[in-house]
Order: sequence, then C-alpha cells, then structure tokens
Amino acid sequence: MWYHRPAINEELLQSLPNLKVVASSGVGIDHLDLKLISSYGVKVSYTPFAVSTDTADMGMALLLASARRLVEGHEMAVSPDTEYFPADWLGVEVSGATLGILGMGTIGYKVAERAKAFEMKILYHNRNQRKKEEESAVGAVYCKKIDDLLQQSDFVLLAVTLTPQTHKLIGKRELELMKPTATLINISRGLVVDQDALVEALQNKVIKAAALDVTYPEPLPRDHPLLKLKNVIITPHIGSATKKTRWVMMAEMAESIEAGLAGLPVPREVL
Amino acid sequence: MFRRRGSRMLKIMASIFGRTNSPYKFIRSVTSLRCRCHRSLVYKQGYRTLACAERQAITAGIKVMAEGELPAVLILDIGGTHGVLEDLAALLKKHFQLITMKEFLANKEEMSKKIQSVFVFERRPTIDRELLESLPNLKVIGNSGVGVDHLDLKMISSFGVKVTNTPHAVADPTADIGMALMLASARRLVEGCQIAVSPDTKSFAVDWLGVEVSRATLGIIGMGSIGYKVAQRARAFNMRILYHNRNQRQKEEEEAVGAHYCAKMKDLLQQSDFVMLVVNLTPETHKLIGKKELELMKPTATLINISRGAVIDQDALVEALQNKVIRAAALDVTYPEPLPRDHPLLNLNNVIITPHIGTATVQAIRTMAEEAIANILAVLNGQPIPSEVFPK
Repeated sequence: MWYHRPAINEELLQSLPNLKVVASSGVGIDHLDLKLISSYGVKVSYTPFAVSTDTADMGMALLLASARRLVEGHEMAVSPDTEYFPADWLGVEVSGATLGILGMGTIGYKVAERAKAFEMKILYHNRNQRKKEEESAVGAVYCKKIDDLLQQSDFVLLAVTLTPQTHKLIGKRELELMKPTATLINISRGLVVDQDALVEALQNKVIKAAALDVTYPEPLPRDHPLLKLKNVIITPHIGSATKKTRWVMMAEMAESIEAGLAGLPVPREVL
Repeated sequence: MFRRRGSRMLKIMASIFGRTNSPYKFIRSVTSLRCRCHRSLVYKQGYRTLACAERQAITAGIKVMAEGELPAVLILDIGGTHGVLEDLAALLKKHFQLITMKEFLANKEEMSKKIQSVFVFERRPTIDRELLESLPNLKVIGNSGVGVDHLDLKMISSFGVKVTNTPHAVADPTADIGMALMLASARRLVEGCQIAVSPDTKSFAVDWLGVEVSRATLGIIGMGSIGYKVAQRARAFNMRILYHNRNQRQKEEEEAVGAHYCAKMKDLLQQSDFVMLVVNLTPETHKLIGKKELELMKPTATLINISRGAVIDQDALVEALQNKVIRAAALDVTYPEPLPRDHPLLNLNNVIITPHIGTATVQAIRTMAEEAIANILAVLNGQPIPSEVFPK
C-alpha cells in the first residue's frame, strides 16, 4: 500500500482468502489495525529506515525556513507590490539556539546529528534514555520530564510515532510551557498535536511560530485557520518525497512481498 | 554662568592644549545668553570639563568638548525604511553622538568638523566624493556587514579615511541561510507550502518529489569564513564536499570537514549536485557564473547564491533555468535588490528568492553593530583595528 491506500479493513481482508502480506510504504503504521490483520494470518511489512534521512533533512529544512521566515521572505521578494526591502524585517538565529527533540528514534537522532553542526544545544525526551556514547556523539542532554524540555527550547521538534500514548502529546498545557519565542516543528503525525489548541496558541502568540509537514487530516479543510496564519509553514507531507528514497522504499516493499509469498521470513516485518 | 568670562578662559585653554584628534581631550564651550545649565568647573587631569545636557549655540572657531562627550558618528537615519533600527541607535548612543544625514545637511558648517566616523548600515549612507570632501575630520567608515563592494575603497583611502567591516558577526547566520536555501530548494519547500495552503488543493499528489540533500555533492565556491561554516554544516548531512578558492586551505582544515579542493572550478561544476557561491564581489568574481559555467553544471544541479547578485550573469541564469540547463536556483542576493517587478526570475517556479536576509536576525544585527562600534572606536583611539579593509 502507498500513502495509506488502499485502506485495509475487515471487508477487504475477508474478500482476499490468499492474502499473505501487506507491504506498507514509510515508517508510520498508525493507519493499520495490526491486531485485525494478524487475526487473518497476514504479515505486515514497512520501510522504517529508508525514510529516516530524508525526514530528518525535512525537519531541518522546516526549522531553518521557519526561523529565517523563508516563505514570507520569498513572497516579499517576488510580490508585485514590493518596492524595497525594509531594514527592520528580521528572523531569529538558528546557530547556537536550543533544540528540544521529542522522540529520539532513528529520525530524531539524525536530526540531532544535523543540529549539532549548527552548534545548537540539544535536549531530548524519549521513552528510554539513549546510551551515553550516543548522547555524547551529538551533545544531547536527556530531559526525563517533557516539561523541562518545553521550557528551555527555542525549537521543539516532534519525531515520535503516533500511538495512543502520543496522541495529542502537545496540547494547551504543553504549548503554554513553551517559550513565547519558540517554534514548534512537526514531522511525526498530525494527531500528535492538539490542532485546535495549536491554532489558539499561534493566534494569541503563546508560541512564535509552527512548521508542519503533517496535519490531521491531510490536506486540511480549505477553511482551516492554520492555512491563514502568517507564522505557520505547512508542507504537504513530503518528509520522504525524494526520487532516491521513494525508489528504495519501492524496492524494499517488493522484497518484503516476495519473501512473504515464498513463505520466507519477511524483511522489515511489523511485529 | 560662564558666558564671556568662561569663554575667554576656555580660549586660553584651547590655545595651550591645542586641538588633537582624541575625542576626550576636547572641551566644548557653550556660550549662550539662554543657557541655564548648572555647571561646575571640575579640574580633572589638567583639563577643564563641562557637562551640559542642553545643546546651545557653539562659538565659532573654538571646538572644545566636555570630558565624557562622545565622538560623533554620521548615520543615514534612525528608523524609517532604510534607517538604523531603534535598538541599534540606542546601542550606538552609548558610544557616540549620533548625527543623521538630515541633521548634517541642515547644519553643515557646524556638523562637518565634528564627524569623525560614519556607520554604514545596509549600504547607506552612500559614501561619495562630495561627502568625503565635506567631512574634513573623518577618520573611519565602519560598515555593518562584511561586503564592501558598495564602497570605493581607493577613493576613500585617498582621503586618509579607513574602512572597517564585520566579518565575524555575519558568518553563522549567512552560513545558516545558505543551508536553508539549499534545503528549501531541494525539497521544494516553497512550492509545497503553496500547495498545502492553496484554496484549490483537494489532495496531495503522491508523485510530487524533490531531490535528496543528504549524501549529495556540494560544491562551495569561496571557502572563506562563511564558506567554511557552510562546509561544517553540510558535513553533518553526509554531503560530499568540494570547494574552489583562490588558495587551498590547510590539510587539517580540509580534513575537519571532509572537503576536497578543486583547483579548477570546472571540476567542481561538473561534479556538484549543489553549487553554492560564497565569494566576495570583486572585479575577478564579477559574472563568475555565466553561460559557460551553467552549461558545465549537471542538469539536475541547483545553484545557490549567498554572495552578491553580480557574481552571476543574471540573463544567462534566466536562460539556463528556462531551458532546464540546470534544475533550480535559490538566491538571497540579486542585482539590483529588489529586482524590477517584471523580471523573469520572479516568475520561474524553480527559483526561490529571499530579500537579502543573510544576516537578518535579531541577534546578528546587534552583533554586527557591536563589531562595527569596536572597529570605529579602535580607529578613533589609535588602537589595533580588528577588521580593516584595504584597497587592492
């Protein structure tokens, strides 16, 4: 399946008696009812590592674009109404700022590796603390309490999987703990953020800005307030949208399918 | 009240101590029938000092300054479209007496001898021969920013005036904007944002793709402070880094960022997925990238410019982009700025243009002013100058 389609529901599973394997693109599996599929004896595979580098790159792209007001700047540079570039038009510094990473899996760690080169101070929160050597390699400091990370970060980046525990992980309370000068970046899933709370926080300047590669739903309804806020960048879920990576994803899915059909252990099986 | 008696004593002092260039040895006499300041004559280190909050008429001929009176710096304006930002003006006022162009032109005779420095912010005020001729005591032009292509260094030097810039303050934010532009262009961030918010969007197309940054090849043309910081950042993306520079860097510097020297720019152009321009604008780098260079680049390559617009032959760039000779361009700088509103670069969807914001952060603007102030004060105090720029 590609981009959550086709939807795997009871009806479909019942109508495919010889179904052996469902190969899903990407690393997210929140769209799959794993219990249900397993009850039909069907295996599920995904492509967890193929997406990680590009998604980390996208996280950095959004962080930089938001901090430096790149989209707004471009619009000004090309607008038919622009006569001069005002001197008091400013963004905020990325180099030397504090980045708080929520979810330090493969993707989160790659973000940390990149942010280190910008001399960013890196805090992270994760279900489990990473090994000391891994922390030292990127200069990341563990925050056992998410509140500590939220209060100290200039940029908060969400890189968690969507599970019942991370659903609306960032709500009104968390947004109010963030600095009023902070930016929220989401490269995980739209549902990790309480979107209504986010809209309110952005409108009332509780936080400075947001940059979202993911929303709920995708696309947002065309009258959604997030589309109109100047301090929001939204991209159309393109975290893994590069030629090379998509090719690798396809190749991995084909490999998983072939193994599944041959009755062999399925590479990248979701257990 | 000192009036005539005071001014006579000060005349004597002035003739004894004479006029020197040091700002703190001047004492300014204020003679006016309307002066109501309470002054006390304080003898300090043999100089008579006056402190007065009111600016009144100054007797012609004798230029004296109270101890603690600050040297004068000329700026274009405070606030407004092109003036020095209010916060910066407050910072400058701690060290200088600010004189705006308006004030200077309204009172040329009085002001012209006072001005010992000019603070050039966003290329203004323009330094031309006329201005230099009208500022006989000018010692230094302190530029905010590192580029000095807008200053005629030879002409300025012929007046015995020094020029300083701010290479340290600009490096990090400019390297950051280079990375921001490279990532935004590769991943089609601006186009993507437009799709995400467009009223016409009903679904996100699955075959909508950008190109990878990680593990791609970045060719840096100009490996000075900024270019080197770009290399440090790009390394974290596992990019293969090539560079071309007037001089090869030291081996340890190259190894620290995994950069390979290309003595011939041609080699860099042919192998790079991203070409980033980080040179100064000089007669040698003017139109450094023209039709020939663009044709040497890969058709899948992206050109990023964070140096000066005139480093690229803009017409050749338009043609190359329209004919898909290269994939895309991302420009923080153009010539002129802004471009005319009917310029073809504004309509190409594979071009990102930003309004020269390489150092446009709250922190950088302040650090640049601090660096410029330090340079100006060094010149005025006869101390070693951190960043003087010399004509070729």
